[in-house]
Amino acid sequence: MDNVIEVKNLRREYTRSQGFLRRKKQTVKAVDGISFSVKRGEIFGLLGQNGAGKTTTIKMLTTLLAPTEGSCKVLGFETFGEEKRIRPRINFIFGGEMGVYRRLSARDNLRYFANLYLLDRKCKEKRIEEILTLVDLKDRADDLAETYSKGMIQRLQIARGLINDPEILFMDEPTVGLDPLGARMLRDVICRLREQGRTVLLTTHYLPEAEELCNRMVIINRGKIVAAGTPEEIKNGSETLEDAYVRLIEGVSV
Amino acid sequence: MMAVLWSTMLLQMRKSFVRPMFRFCLLANPILNTILLYEMFRNAGEENFMAYVVLGAGLMGLWSCICFSSAGDINRERWSGTLALIFVAPASFPVIILGKIIGNTLLSLLTLVISLVTAVVLYQVPLTLASPLYFLAALVGAVTAFVVISAVIAYLLTLSRKTELYMNCIEIPLILLCGFVFPVTVLPPAVQTLSRAFSPTYAVELLRMAVWGVKDAGLFWQKYLSLAGLTALYAGLSLLLARRIDRRVRISATLEVA
Repeated sequence: MDNVIEVKNLRREYTRSQGFLRRKKQTVKAVDGISFSVKRGEIFGLLGQNGAGKTTTIKMLTTLLAPTEGSCKVLGFETFGEEKRIRPRINFIFGGEMGVYRRLSARDNLRYFANLYLLDRKCKEKRIEEILTLVDLKDRADDLAETYSKGMIQRLQIARGLINDPEILFMDEPTVGLDPLGARMLRDVICRLREQGRTVLLTTHYLPEAEELCNRMVIINRGKIVAAGTPEEIKNGSETLEDAYVRLIEGVSV
Repeated sequence: MMAVLWSTMLLQMRKSFVRPMFRFCLLANPILNTILLYEMFRNAGEENFMAYVVLGAGLMGLWSCICFSSAGDINRERWSGTLALIFVAPASFPVIILGKIIGNTLLSLLTLVISLVTAVVLYQVPLTLASPLYFLAALVGAVTAFVVISAVIAYLLTLSRKTELYMNCIEIPLILLCGFVFPVTVLPPAVQTLSRAFSPTYAVELLRMAVWGVKDAGLFWQKYLSLAGLTALYAGLSLLLARRIDRRVRISATLEVA
């Protein structure tokens, strides 16, 4: 299997300004020299505490952010400089209720994003029907998204992320706020993507979910990788993945 | 590209019209501006109220709508998490922005109609449009100029999260500098030089010339050429900005809320 994501010594710093008259600049290291690779068809997990650098890493991989240093390649292309070669072939889903047009129906949201992904008319309508069925929104497809529950908005987000049938799907805490059935549906979608040979990179705080889904994972703490491997390798004698995770994170914190 | 432009225009019109603030700017603002300007101009010796009252109120409303939508929409997209999505979509981001601006501008032209209707219904004042064909030509030039200047502003505002502050800062100064409600010749000479750097100044002069009646066609087309030249310059600037900003926003991380 070939590597579809290759990250080498990746760093990302943010600069913040503080003060009114005498503005001071402060540099924060969000990602601090991480390296990993993801093979085609894998489900790969990025785990870590809030603020560990997972979302920043995903943003660099999805061409939203420029790396400060290091190399970040997706499908063989640099995410900063060669992004046009990458964008039609990937998509991403961020957890929560953002990322949809609430004044539009689910169908109109999907139609609009299908246009932005340059799908042709015939292919577009067929694809929209397929994914509306997949995320179980067909019955409410023509209602405005602002009338949807949190879980339905999240399902619409998932549908939007699948609109271009991406080779790699990036998911940042996709099950946050989903009810158990919604979370189950999402896990089924991920498993189906794996069967189709798609690659998924996901971040989650639900360790049993990560253990169930991921072929391999890395644990990030304060911008650095503290463990990498299969769930069994990361457990390394611990009874559960959670025990191993706590040991790794607290071990670094001490 | 046309599908992206068209669907973005329609989306923007729907999104804008359902916002109460936009409806206020679009529907109530021109009525209030017409009343205000009529009271200011009724003893000013100007007999054709079309030039300053209707046109002034309509243009003020048009600019407010454009300003608060084309510029403010960047921030709304940012807060709703969709700015990042449209930015990384394969469709060209400048085309998406252009679609939004054209949608807003076309919808905002309603302010001119509302202002006209208000003046007719409330005051029954003399309203003359002496050169309708020239007016149509000037209107096309004006809309293009507003679209292009809005594009420049919209691109610049992707660089910062303080969008609301900036759009409030640019609304009134442009109304004053570009002579929406009074001729720029009443401004101090140094300020007039600044006015000449803004394409809407020429657009407003052309519209007003057409309202009064174009007596010197050469002068009209000369001003039109200035408007076209300045608009082309802005268009070039917006293309340059689009390229630079594409890199800059990903370095400075301003596409999303921190």
